[in-house]
Amino acid sequence: MPFDTRRIRGPEESQSPLLFLSPDKVPEASSRQGVRGNGDVRPVFARCGLVSQAKGSAYLEAGNTKIICSVYGPREIERKDETDMKTGRLVCDFRLAPFSCMKRGAWIQGSEERDLSATLLESLQPGVCLHRYPRSQIEVNVIVLENDGSILAHAVTCASMALADGGIEMYDVVLGCALGQNGNTCLVDPSHSEECGSWHEGYGENRGCVTVALLPNLNQVSGLNADGEMREDTLTDAVRTCLDGCHKLYPVVQQALTRAVKRKAPPPEK
Amino acid sequence: MAAVQVSEAEKVYLMHGVRDDLRLDGRRCEDYRHMEIETDVVSNTDGSAKISLGHTDVLVGVKAEIGKPRPMVPDEGYLEFFVDCSANATPEFEGRGGEELGVELSNVLYKVFNNRHSVDLRSLCICAGENCWVLYVDVLLLQCDGNLFDAISIAIKAALFNTRIPKVRISEDEEGGKEIELSDDPYDCMRINVENVPCIVTLCKIGHRHVVDATLQEKACSVASLLISVTHKGMVTCVRKLGRGSLDPESIFEMTEAGKRVGKTLHAPLMELLQKEESLGKKRQKVGFLG
Repeated sequence: MPFDTRRIRGPEESQSPLLFLSPDKVPEASSRQGVRGNGDVRPVFARCGLVSQAKGSAYLEAGNTKIICSVYGPREIERKDETDMKTGRLVCDFRLAPFSCMKRGAWIQGSEERDLSATLLESLQPGVCLHRYPRSQIEVNVIVLENDGSILAHAVTCASMALADGGIEMYDVVLGCALGQNGNTCLVDPSHSEECGSWHEGYGENRGCVTVALLPNLNQVSGLNADGEMREDTLTDAVRTCLDGCHKLYPVVQQALTRAVKRKAPPPEK
Repeated sequence: MAAVQVSEAEKVYLMHGVRDDLRLDGRRCEDYRHMEIETDVVSNTDGSAKISLGHTDVLVGVKAEIGKPRPMVPDEGYLEFFVDCSANATPEFEGRGGEELGVELSNVLYKVFNNRHSVDLRSLCICAGENCWVLYVDVLLLQCDGNLFDAISIAIKAALFNTRIPKVRISEDEEGGKEIELSDDPYDCMRINVENVPCIVTLCKIGHRHVVDATLQEKACSVASLLISVTHKGMVTCVRKLGRGSLDPESIFEMTEAGKRVGKTLHAPLMELLQKEESLGKKRQKVGFLG
């Protein structure tokens, strides 16, 4: 792992105080305490046009998860050794800010972040009309400001809103939805504590996390990522639930985009 | 992945064939190529296996070292995966070219093994909170002809089956410090139970049908593939969509079901073969790399 010489870090032997906290019990089915049902997505706040220097940008908040995305391009490709010059290229960079999770993350991109960048790229590529931008490159930078679960799903939605805001031609908006399976209950759009059993110790029986990226009008799935151990029928039901969750998210995204367009190009006054 | 150039006419020919359940080499859509597995090929490792699936050659070496357990789970050991795409496979992998592919393969392997049941990590613990066995699984790609994920997962299963971890004893010395002693007998070792280790099945979508174990040419004709890792009981540990195209939800469900069916049937013959190979013991004729 590359060593970070610019920041003063704690001594090698130090441990995070979080290890000494008594472990959180994995929440039971009724733990959402009536605030939202098992099948409900958290209310989403989305705005475009946040970063003035970027071609397009978007900010998305779902519960406590806060994600910001900016799009630059189309720009000329630096490397001239690309054999296929007929289509453009999409480059995605997914980062988690060091203060975003409970445990301080390293600023240098770890393998988990590279994996998320690759998945984000795969999810967005089918939606963008890359053949309209030959020999160019479009850069998508996503930063997660606060990680409260389902970051990949919300990052996909945020990135496609930023692409639309930047005027990049697309076949359809790409929406993401995540689901956490815990035994027989499935929780749509899990928060970090609901996903929590996953990251440290590996999954137990029939527990896992599914993220789906969907193009709603074309009804095509552009990204699917499932983790943990599940039966095949549970997985199929989970994917169907995620698809419904994506459809529920669509009106919010539409509204945010039309609002941004109206602000940039206000309708003529009578 | 290393790609071949395929002309439009070849693509059409291939797609028509797949539509009629007939591929270029005469296989059906859900048949694997001829597979050869050999374990214990590298003497310096604790376990190793080499697999040739058609023209894809993969070598896996497992080394067990004593290390500190992860702070969140002090009573378990862990596995570390590293995939090296050597320039041997194709000239594209020279220098840092193969790094991206290698990182993608390692990340998928981490996801596949990220659950409680694949490998019993508790058995890798020596002294809770202080020492544990860390299994470094190193994968080397020797030749690349498509379907890397499947070959790698089968080779890992075979290598883990072949791994022999020496038994250790903790003894207290005079000052109260703990000392680890490895037993002197080279045959006194611990084996890993690989019953629940999953195998990856990659299904490529070509036209309206899907194919298992795609060669590079078939991969060039498909826009998207689905990777599914299945245990012998039929539990699914990881699903990912790969490629730059999109998939219809119905195809995903169909491919998941087919992947689970194919994956489940892969385990029993594999275990049988591995046990038969081991039972041959010293009489086994080693084929090695020139077979």
